[in-house]
Amino acid sequence: MVNLTIDGKEVKVGKTATIYEAAKEAGVHIPVLCYAKKLLPYGACRICLVEVEQMKGRLIPSCTTPATEGMVVTTMSDEIRKVRKTVLEFLLVNHVIECPVCDKGGECDLQDLTYEYEVISNRFEGEKFDLPKDEINPLIERNMNRCVLCGKCARVCDEVVGYGSYSFINRGFETKIATAFDRGLNCEFCGQCVSMCPVGAILPRPFKFKARPWQLKEVNSVCGYCGNGCTVTLGTKDNEVQTIRFNDKTGVNDGNLCIRGRFGASYVNSDKRLTSPLIRKNGELVEASWEEALETVATGLRDAGSSTGILSGARLTNEELFLVKGLAKAVGTGNLDHSGGECYKGVTQGLQETLGLQASTATFPQVENAKAILAIRTDFYETHPVFGMVVNQAVKRNDAQLTVIGDKQGKLTRMPHARTLQHKPGLEVNILNAMCRFLLDEGLAKIDGLQGVEELKVALADYSVDAVAAAAGVDAAAIKQTARELATVENAAILLAYGLPYTANSRELGLAAANLSLLTGIAGRAGSGLYLCGEKSNSQGAIDLQILPAAGALGASGMLKAASEGKLKALYVAAEDMLVSYPDKSLVEKALEKTSFVVVQDIFLSETARKADVVLPAASFAEKSGTVTNAERRIQRLNPGIKSPGQAKSDFAIFQALLSALGATAPADEAAAFAELSAATSGYEMVSLDMVGDQGYVWGSDNLAPEMRNLVAVAGGKAIEAKYQLVVGSSLYHSGTTSLHAKGPMAVVAEPYIEFGREDAAELKVVDGDLVKIKAAGGVISAKAKVDRRLPKGVLFAPYHFGALDLNRIYHGQAAIAVEVSK
Amino acid sequence: MSRIKSPAELEAFRKEILAQRDPDKPCITLCSGSACNATGSGKVAAALELEIEKQGVTTEVVSRRTGCHGFCEQGPIVVIYPQGICYLKVQPEDIAEIISETIKKQKIVERLLYVDPNSGERATLEEDIPFYKNQKRLVLGSNRKIDPRSLEDYLAVEGYQALTKVLFEMTPEQVVGEVKDAKLRGRGGAGFPSGLKWDFARKAPGDQKYVVVNCDEGDPGAYMDRSVMEGNPFAVLEGLMIGAYAIGANEGYIYVRQEYPLAVANLTVAIEKAEEYGLLGKDILGSGFDFTIKVHRGAGAFICGEETSLLNSLEGKAGEPNARPPFPAIRGLWTKPTNINNVETWANIPMIINKGAAFFSAIGTESSKGTKIFSLVGKVNNTGLVEVPMGASLRDIIFKIGGGVPGDKKFKAVQTGGPSGGCLPEGLLDTKVDFDELSQAGAMMGSGGMIVMDEDTCLVDIARYFLAFLSDESCGKCTPCREGIRQMLKILTNMTKGLAKEGDIDLLFELAEATKGSSMCALGKTAPNPVLSTLKHFREEYEAHINEKRCPSLSCKALIDFYIDPEKCKGCGACFRKCPAEAIEGGKKRIHVIVQDKCTKCGGCHEACPAAFDAVNILSGVPVPEATPEEARAIG
Repeated sequence: MVNLTIDGKEVKVGKTATIYEAAKEAGVHIPVLCYAKKLLPYGACRICLVEVEQMKGRLIPSCTTPATEGMVVTTMSDEIRKVRKTVLEFLLVNHVIECPVCDKGGECDLQDLTYEYEVISNRFEGEKFDLPKDEINPLIERNMNRCVLCGKCARVCDEVVGYGSYSFINRGFETKIATAFDRGLNCEFCGQCVSMCPVGAILPRPFKFKARPWQLKEVNSVCGYCGNGCTVTLGTKDNEVQTIRFNDKTGVNDGNLCIRGRFGASYVNSDKRLTSPLIRKNGELVEASWEEALETVATGLRDAGSSTGILSGARLTNEELFLVKGLAKAVGTGNLDHSGGECYKGVTQGLQETLGLQASTATFPQVENAKAILAIRTDFYETHPVFGMVVNQAVKRNDAQLTVIGDKQGKLTRMPHARTLQHKPGLEVNILNAMCRFLLDEGLAKIDGLQGVEELKVALADYSVDAVAAAAGVDAAAIKQTARELATVENAAILLAYGLPYTANSRELGLAAANLSLLTGIAGRAGSGLYLCGEKSNSQGAIDLQILPAAGALGASGMLKAASEGKLKALYVAAEDMLVSYPDKSLVEKALEKTSFVVVQDIFLSETARKADVVLPAASFAEKSGTVTNAERRIQRLNPGIKSPGQAKSDFAIFQALLSALGATAPADEAAAFAELSAATSGYEMVSLDMVGDQGYVWGSDNLAPEMRNLVAVAGGKAIEAKYQLVVGSSLYHSGTTSLHAKGPMAVVAEPYIEFGREDAAELKVVDGDLVKIKAAGGVISAKAKVDRRLPKGVLFAPYHFGALDLNRIYHGQAAIAVEVSK
Repeated sequence: MSRIKSPAELEAFRKEILAQRDPDKPCITLCSGSACNATGSGKVAAALELEIEKQGVTTEVVSRRTGCHGFCEQGPIVVIYPQGICYLKVQPEDIAEIISETIKKQKIVERLLYVDPNSGERATLEEDIPFYKNQKRLVLGSNRKIDPRSLEDYLAVEGYQALTKVLFEMTPEQVVGEVKDAKLRGRGGAGFPSGLKWDFARKAPGDQKYVVVNCDEGDPGAYMDRSVMEGNPFAVLEGLMIGAYAIGANEGYIYVRQEYPLAVANLTVAIEKAEEYGLLGKDILGSGFDFTIKVHRGAGAFICGEETSLLNSLEGKAGEPNARPPFPAIRGLWTKPTNINNVETWANIPMIINKGAAFFSAIGTESSKGTKIFSLVGKVNNTGLVEVPMGASLRDIIFKIGGGVPGDKKFKAVQTGGPSGGCLPEGLLDTKVDFDELSQAGAMMGSGGMIVMDEDTCLVDIARYFLAFLSDESCGKCTPCREGIRQMLKILTNMTKGLAKEGDIDLLFELAEATKGSSMCALGKTAPNPVLSTLKHFREEYEAHINEKRCPSLSCKALIDFYIDPEKCKGCGACFRKCPAEAIEGGKKRIHVIVQDKCTKCGGCHEACPAAFDAVNILSGVPVPEATPEEARAIG
């Protein structure tokens, strides 16, 4: 600790604190423009200058100068005021004064400082910036005539996002922020630059002229997309979410968001939202009252009884999922499942069988201090972009060695000194096995207290590093080096994302990753962690609440199979568009067709809903209360910012009403539901709602100790032999199918596509935008081609979000699909 | 030649080289630095080779193309050893005579000798020329004796003795101690004690450390580092290796301006030779010390001479400074502890090790030790590179070495320290070259630029000129530098155009203080120096520009007018013929008149008017008298 005096106040701060941070601690305000908590010290704007008694004769930038023992700091004097005012005059010389029409007005740091320092005239004259504006893309507007050259946009894009879209170009007065070759922005459109800009130079276009900041009501909630669980602060007005406000004080994401979080909430305002219950009458879905709909559903379910199948999505809140369970009980069925029933098995079976857990062992912030990180699948960034930003910071700031096991290249593989084990599709488990074998062979494995060591050794006979490297097409030395690092560095992390497009080998991957985490000592060690991150905002909650088939009952695939054979009487589908997102569309179609009573509860009339007998209009995340649990076990609260459209109700209210119609009891409200569910949920027993504060509450504490340490042998995959094989996955700009209703993501990726590597594209004479046909067992799909550098020869990629692609005609949950390509 | 594996092998090799060299054998050295190359050294070299062959003296004479001798104005320079006969401005056609007369007959070619412009005396030997006589060439001295691309030549002048000593007889702590004791201060500008800087980097935690040579010499007209790098690259390499050993680095980078192709070429050859002989690479001389060097060419930004900007540029980022602390010694190149010194600093190191800290610290003043190389340019008779002991007075440098101001003009000011240095008036000519004394006088040592100005130089315009340079070169990162310099420049430009307002001096002072006090790096912090020093010593010139719209030096075009005195004009027509703008009305035996509207103020008429008539006047701050009416223009 360091002791210093600031404006006469004694302050005690940590060794790495700057004067600015120390002042903040002491409650002393120092103005800043280029400083941001999350960025490295920069010191360019010179607004934060202070006087330090020990450094007389010059002014000291408080945001870059470390606080040292005994320092005596003065943050305001005539001299300081004069210099700050001069700096403001300098900035205002070239800055176009457009405050009346600038969206930043009212929360602009330059405007506020100009006011605070009473810069009513300017002693200096100069030409105003006259630079072209970037209004090409629909999401981020850049007006560099308002720029104060603080560099925060360039810095956040590099330091946090790891994209590097911006840089300063030119020198002196000509200096400006620009993109490569000074063209329009073409990036991930996460809008982190928007959130950092202290002035109106970088603005969210969808929010232009929508509201003055003070007209907005701010409500903290949790993003409805992925399992990262980022806090999104809804800026609402006129019962619409107008924008997402910057908030780095709440939650786990430090104010960072991806395109989905920042520009993807607009689906809640969509005019395509369901506003009334619908009942199929004479073959047509027609509007009906809630009474009629609920009665119809209750009757249908009562009739079906134990022959009912309940399929839920993983975007319902914990409280809602608790009622889903109640519904199953009330109906008398054990046929309950979520998210297609397969993709999460790495957690529910893989981790359960090895560690006795069904969750990630550590929290996200710990990854920033990891020295070695293994990401299984480069798609990890696409599914969990904001966690990817944490990885980027670990790599960039703390020199973490990142290794990626992936069948393609991607954002993660491009990070500094990232090591990519690019393998033939479907062989992730083999590589993990080889790492385990190497650690055991070399005596690097931490085998004390582990069960099943000898059995695993025997089972790994076929997984020598050399054999696996040769079969997978990966460098053997890289496998060894990665394993060695994971076992020897102080803090390490293993990351694996799961979700509907990653159904293949899910249990096996969980087992193999858990084995590796045991042999390296990662599982359960403070500061290290094994992360299995679910695709949806409450994937972990669905597992925690065990939205799983009862013993002897059917899971999702079993239900669909049974239904397709006419063996189920009713299907209840909540928050899932199975026809689009589940593997094997033909099976789903058949199941929906053959089941006499289908209820779909959703916020849009999805493809699946169109096939239903009753459709119940639900509420979006922005309209409801409750809690969700993110991929690091952090329970966080949703808060309603707007009212649901029309008669739409929250899933909680729908289930409540339905339970009541079925003659069952339901908790009075979400809070009561939480109290009940926490008592009934393993890990939640000690959690009460008031413990879920601004930073949420991590159940099982930051480092979750394994219940057991059991190595379980697991067989690897086999590469398929085909000239072309298609792998399926998630796109960065989308999440599930909901984002297809959001303007932001759709502005960037509006259509399905088939991605080709350059080599294949050249050979097939395919260029961007060509219509290509992909033939495989199950059918033929066609879409526009997209040519990129990510894919090796012979491997194609398709994102799974678009119903229009019919991808699940050929995707039945395989790791890779043998395909034929034609134009 | 195979790798040299031990100090004994090195000494044996050195002996072998020296044994092959007869010190009495005539050796013709030809300066082949960039300046002499520009005046034809290449052609002279070709002629020399041809003529040696032609006159059949191949075995009797040795020829050598050396680095810069410093007396650049008089190049190409030929010096013949062992006597040290110095021929200046040698052209290819002079070579035959030099060989036939001087080499064969030991006769001096008189017309190629130096002639003192004041006394008219000739000087035969290099050491008799006042320009050289008053210098102390400890660093530059070897330049004229060796071929910069020859490792043998470098070994012949005690090369690599210091490295051997360091690697086998000294601990890193002792090396740092020696540099500390020598009280060497960085030659790049700030004058930070080098030993202390090394010590910081040595003590900084980290396995990987770097050493860097800053050869991004950007001051207009300054070329000290270029000449050392071109002329004696091995000395820089040796110094760098000693520093690397001292701080615990195994990799070095040399950052050289793209505009210094010869320096890059000579350096590259030197590195290749050193690698070939095992004086770079693994296990140097069997000591276990490994060292590799990479050369990086800068893209021409002045700011990259600032150390953190240089490191950013080395990393492939935009050349702009970082906030310090952390200093590069703690967090430098690729975040590793890094010691960065300027070329001249590194070149001093082998000497300090060889001759000892005591020898070095005996030279100079209390706070500044050793010698300093200056690039003496401007309105001075002998321009070139001069190396003087610290403590030499500006007067001695300008008048004894530089031979004073040309023509009948009066000395007005000397600007030291590059574009952000300060201008000192005649009254301060006895200021000694010493880091602290120069700073106290309002100038600075800088990297060693020295520009002499005579009475025709307008100091307001000079300040404007330097600020224009700095405004162009400000990286734009921090607000006060980016905008403050521009605003000062704007005011100064207005002054030279007669557009200044009352209060501009006060505003200049305020801007200067704000820029100096709040800028991020040395560029901004020192940028106001030209303004502040000229305001301090030549304030009356500013006042004249503002209040009287008068340029006392008659140099600011917007403030002067040319006027032909009708009383003195003899109607000779010289001015009429010279005027490129057809702005003069003349005629035979008629008084000539300048049409002011057409005049471009080129000054041609003033120069053309015969001195005996002296009819063309330059007016400033006064109205131009009415032109003589047409009818009254007839003379006589």
